[in-house]
Amino acid sequence: MPVAVQLLIAIGFVAIMMIASHLLGPKRRTSDKLINFESGIPSIGNARQPMAVKYFLVAILFVLFDVEVIFFYPYAVNFRALGTEGFYAVLMFVAFFFCGFFYIIKKGALKWED
Amino acid sequence: MKPLIASAVFGVIMMFAALSVKEKKTFTLLATLLLVLLTGVNIYELMHIMNGEIPEALFNGMLKYGSFSIWFNTLMTGIALLYVLLCGKHIEKVGQHTGEYYGLIFFILCGANLLSGYNNLLILFLGIEIISIPQYILAGSDKRNLKSSEASLKYFLMGAFSTGILLMGIALLYGAMHTFDVSQFNFMEHNVDAMSLGGIFFIMVALGFKVSAAPMHFWTPDVYDGAPTPFTAIMATIVKAAIFVAFLRLFSETFGGISQHWTLVLSIVTALTLFVGNITAVFQQSVKRMLAYSSIAQAGFMLFAVLAVNATGFKGIIIYAVAYSVATIGMFAVLMKLKDYTYDGFNGLGRKHPLLAFTATIFLLSLAGIPLTGGFFAKYFVLTAVMEQGTGMMWLVIFALLMAAISAYYYFKVLMAMYFKKGEPELAIEVTTGDRFFLGLAAAAIIVIGVAPDILLAWLKN
Amino acid sequence: MKDLVYLVPLFPLIGFLINGLFWKSMPKKISGLLASVAMLASFAVSLGIFFEIKNNPAAGGVVHLFDFIHSGSLHIPFAFQVDALSSLFLLIITGVGFLIHVYSTSYMHDDPGFTKYFAYLNFFVFAMLLLVLGANYVIMFIGWEGVGLASYLLIGFWYKRKDYTNASKKAFIMNRIGDLGFLVGMFLTLYHFGTASYGELFPKLIAGLPEGVSGNTMNAIAICFFIGAMGKSAQIPLYTWLPDAMAGPTPVSALIHAATMVTAGIYMIARSSAVYNLAPIAQSLVAIIGLATALFAASIALKQYDIKKVLAYSTVSQLGYMFLALGVGAYTSAVFHVMTHAFFKALLFLGSGSVIHAMGGEQDLRFMGGLGKKMRITQITFLLGCLAIAGIPGFSGFFSKDEILAAAYAKNPVYYYLGLAGALMTAFYMFRLYFYTFTGSFRGTHEQEHHLHESPAAMIIPLVLLAILAVVGGYVGLPEVFSEHHLLNEYLAPVVQNFDVHHLTHETEWMLMGLSVGLIVVMILLAYGRTKKPDFKENTGIAKVLENKWYVDELYDNVIVKPMKGLAVVLDKYAERSGIDGIVNGVGRLVSWGSNRMRLLQNGQVGTYIFAMVVGVVLLLAVGLLIVG
Repeated sequence: MPVAVQLLIAIGFVAIMMIASHLLGPKRRTSDKLINFESGIPSIGNARQPMAVKYFLVAILFVLFDVEVIFFYPYAVNFRALGTEGFYAVLMFVAFFFCGFFYIIKKGALKWED
Repeated sequence: MKPLIASAVFGVIMMFAALSVKEKKTFTLLATLLLVLLTGVNIYELMHIMNGEIPEALFNGMLKYGSFSIWFNTLMTGIALLYVLLCGKHIEKVGQHTGEYYGLIFFILCGANLLSGYNNLLILFLGIEIISIPQYILAGSDKRNLKSSEASLKYFLMGAFSTGILLMGIALLYGAMHTFDVSQFNFMEHNVDAMSLGGIFFIMVALGFKVSAAPMHFWTPDVYDGAPTPFTAIMATIVKAAIFVAFLRLFSETFGGISQHWTLVLSIVTALTLFVGNITAVFQQSVKRMLAYSSIAQAGFMLFAVLAVNATGFKGIIIYAVAYSVATIGMFAVLMKLKDYTYDGFNGLGRKHPLLAFTATIFLLSLAGIPLTGGFFAKYFVLTAVMEQGTGMMWLVIFALLMAAISAYYYFKVLMAMYFKKGEPELAIEVTTGDRFFLGLAAAAIIVIGVAPDILLAWLKN
Repeated sequence: MKDLVYLVPLFPLIGFLINGLFWKSMPKKISGLLASVAMLASFAVSLGIFFEIKNNPAAGGVVHLFDFIHSGSLHIPFAFQVDALSSLFLLIITGVGFLIHVYSTSYMHDDPGFTKYFAYLNFFVFAMLLLVLGANYVIMFIGWEGVGLASYLLIGFWYKRKDYTNASKKAFIMNRIGDLGFLVGMFLTLYHFGTASYGELFPKLIAGLPEGVSGNTMNAIAICFFIGAMGKSAQIPLYTWLPDAMAGPTPVSALIHAATMVTAGIYMIARSSAVYNLAPIAQSLVAIIGLATALFAASIALKQYDIKKVLAYSTVSQLGYMFLALGVGAYTSAVFHVMTHAFFKALLFLGSGSVIHAMGGEQDLRFMGGLGKKMRITQITFLLGCLAIAGIPGFSGFFSKDEILAAAYAKNPVYYYLGLAGALMTAFYMFRLYFYTFTGSFRGTHEQEHHLHESPAAMIIPLVLLAILAVVGGYVGLPEVFSEHHLLNEYLAPVVQNFDVHHLTHETEWMLMGLSVGLIVVMILLAYGRTKKPDFKENTGIAKVLENKWYVDELYDNVIVKPMKGLAVVLDKYAERSGIDGIVNGVGRLVSWGSNRMRLLQNGQVGTYIFAMVVGVVLLLAVGLLIVG
């Protein structure tokens, strides 16, 4: 029960503060205030310009393979302790890894020109 | 373990087939063959269990298959086979990457396999993710369709949110239990504290999200409605059933000992789910959207199996999963044949295409839970399972029955349109002899389950 | 013979399958013949079973076919219960069913859905037989839902009219509400006794309350079952679907909504007599609801002008009598009335069908009159039916109704007097119907008058046979003052435990009989006087209320249907994306520009969804952690 009261007070406090600051705070809207802040340099054009999907594709694939490579670090540290079984496991991991790589190459995901 | 590896490898095979094969029909054929093979592997595994072989824990106790999980997997691959046979033509029509779609379906089966055999919360998490990610892609596979992309993005964002909650729950449980291994969880009255309870509730919320239980159901209508219809069919059936199995196993086996702490919350969720699903389904104009709400309502019934915390609940979920999946896939298969997805699109179907209408009738009767169809015993089983625990849940049972009565209203609206209204239904695709045969097969399966539900339980030990 | 019982439902099932699967290519003659032959075959087997059990009551028993479910604690066999009660119902269903099938071959002759009609009809009979034969509540429930489905399909058979399909939907939904009670009762039985099989359940109950089960439990189970019976047998408050169900073809009204399906509730309670004998509160409830329905429906029937509506309300009222009998513990009297009612009410419905046929579809009494001259056989058979239902001595209805009233008197004289009032109303409205239809001068158009003709043989023969049954059907249950042997009581004795029926002295019985017969004759004369000079002016006062059926439909519409619809619309709006936006917008306007930022945050749909979800989850967690944990 005390917990509930405390919860209520906490939520109520936050809500009151948010509403109060909106109601009480002075607001001056000028066109200068509403434009994006670009480190003092006047902004040029719209930031939401369409970009080729290829760019994202390459970026995402990079992240994907990058993360997979990270798995080699713990393996390298425990190389001896894991023995042959570990070696086969990592071999399998690499095989799957290459499957994916082969797949994206074949699918043409990395082809820059059409 | 063999079915697990097989499903993953088959998924990769489908992916690579997509590189060299051009003809879309070939993919369907290949997928059918691989699914037959996968079902065979499952049956092989099942035979071993039935011959008295004791299943061993795999991967340092991460996975543990019993007769329940293997039988469930066999059924799910069988249903997936039926799904491909019924919907293959429509999958080919969705987009350019038919091979990948089938690949993703195999990955979904792989996830379902993990969910039925997990013995460790990490595997549970992995299974949920493996089953979810293909769905995000499948939901958005109709790239040119704005609704499909919207569905995909919505599902992805909200799914990510629920994944966060699931991880939070797992972390809290790890904090309380100092292990991820569910067989080592020992809940006693004295060690139930806010941390473990919080973990249980977070996991309940996250799994509830995945099975579209209220109030975590908001994504369901939009995603099911927006996703290409053949993929809605698999999202609403196999995926839902598999997550329910994980839900059931976790809550009955692992958290069953302290059920008095969480049944109230889960029963509120159940009541809400039944209420929202059924009441909102009544006023839908599109049959596809109605089926989306009906899948929420049906999830409410499946939650009864979880609430029961007993062996009958496990049997109930098997019968429910099969009866519901077959009927829903069949209903979607009929729906996909039509051009117009509204109720009016069904007008006069009984006169024009009697077989389509007849099989649809059986599927709808089963969904409404009319006796002599599988749906009746499904509902009967899950409700009896709860009643076995005492009369404390009586209010919920009565409520569920009331909701089932309401559900008859919107299912029968389709019947009414098919038989009692005049119209010229337009087909989007020609109905071939093969379609007729497999629709008839699905309908026959529903009737067989309705007459002898025991055949689904004969393969369970204890 | 007993082992052949599976044949009884099998024949109609085969008829249904053949007619149902080939309804496009089946010639009319063959489908009608097939359906009727299937019924005849069932009837023959039922007859065999009936006589076997009559000669040797021990010949009955449970015929086990296969197991639905046999796992762990749950054991549900698919088995048939063959005994006196079920064999009697078999005879009624297949016998009357056969006659109505024959009648239908002629009545439905010009209908384009002829084959479909017979497929549905066969399916109905199949489901009804399952209901009656099942050896446990699960099978009874399967049949129970099956007959509901068949009735839904048949009420909406003439689907081109929207109000007809609405009537079918209404019937189905009301029945589902009743089914809910049945299911809950069944779950309670399973929970408390671990079985739903009659053979295991009833022996536990006959000796008295079993250990560990309280009287309240028995009352709860009995009341739940009764709610199921209310839906199926059209008792207050779930009766309104039955008059609407008259939208179906007339033979269907005769078979389903008079002779068989609506008596399923009576069958269920008679079957469960062991349960009800331990549940006095439920018994009184059954009696009171039954009596109230009997009076209420009879009062509505007084002022109806649709020939089928009069019969429909009369059916509701007669069902009320049967429940009264059940409620006072006179189970055999209820079953007796089911039997005689099946004969005379099927006869009356078929007779009205013959009239409607001759009138070219006209059902309004105000446009009939003097039909007796053109349709002599219909008139005579109809008159016999009226005499039977009114309770004139010598006709079947007299014996069964008298038995019920005597049992009611023994229990509580108030029941008797109210029941008698209902019987008097019955006599009045039935003869009002008869005189309006068959005597006087014709009030319809010339065209109709020209068209008037006696119905063909296939319709007349069932009428004649039913008329004979309606006259002599009562002699199996002669009251004690006439005969030593009450054949029906003796036949049913091994199955049904009549509860605590006080025996009246012969003098009292004679007196009661004399009183009722005298008053009934007075009522008939009154009806004759009233209908001699037909005067159809606008009704006022209480008569108008009666004509509008006490405005119950309107009441239900306003109290239940409209709020439900409103709720659904509200949910639909608010659960949908635009609705949530709407709330947010509304709130936004309320707190003016202050919440502008918030609305901007929430206008993405996923945002609102997650917001709503989080609110829900927080509430759930609060419940889980603070209240329970």
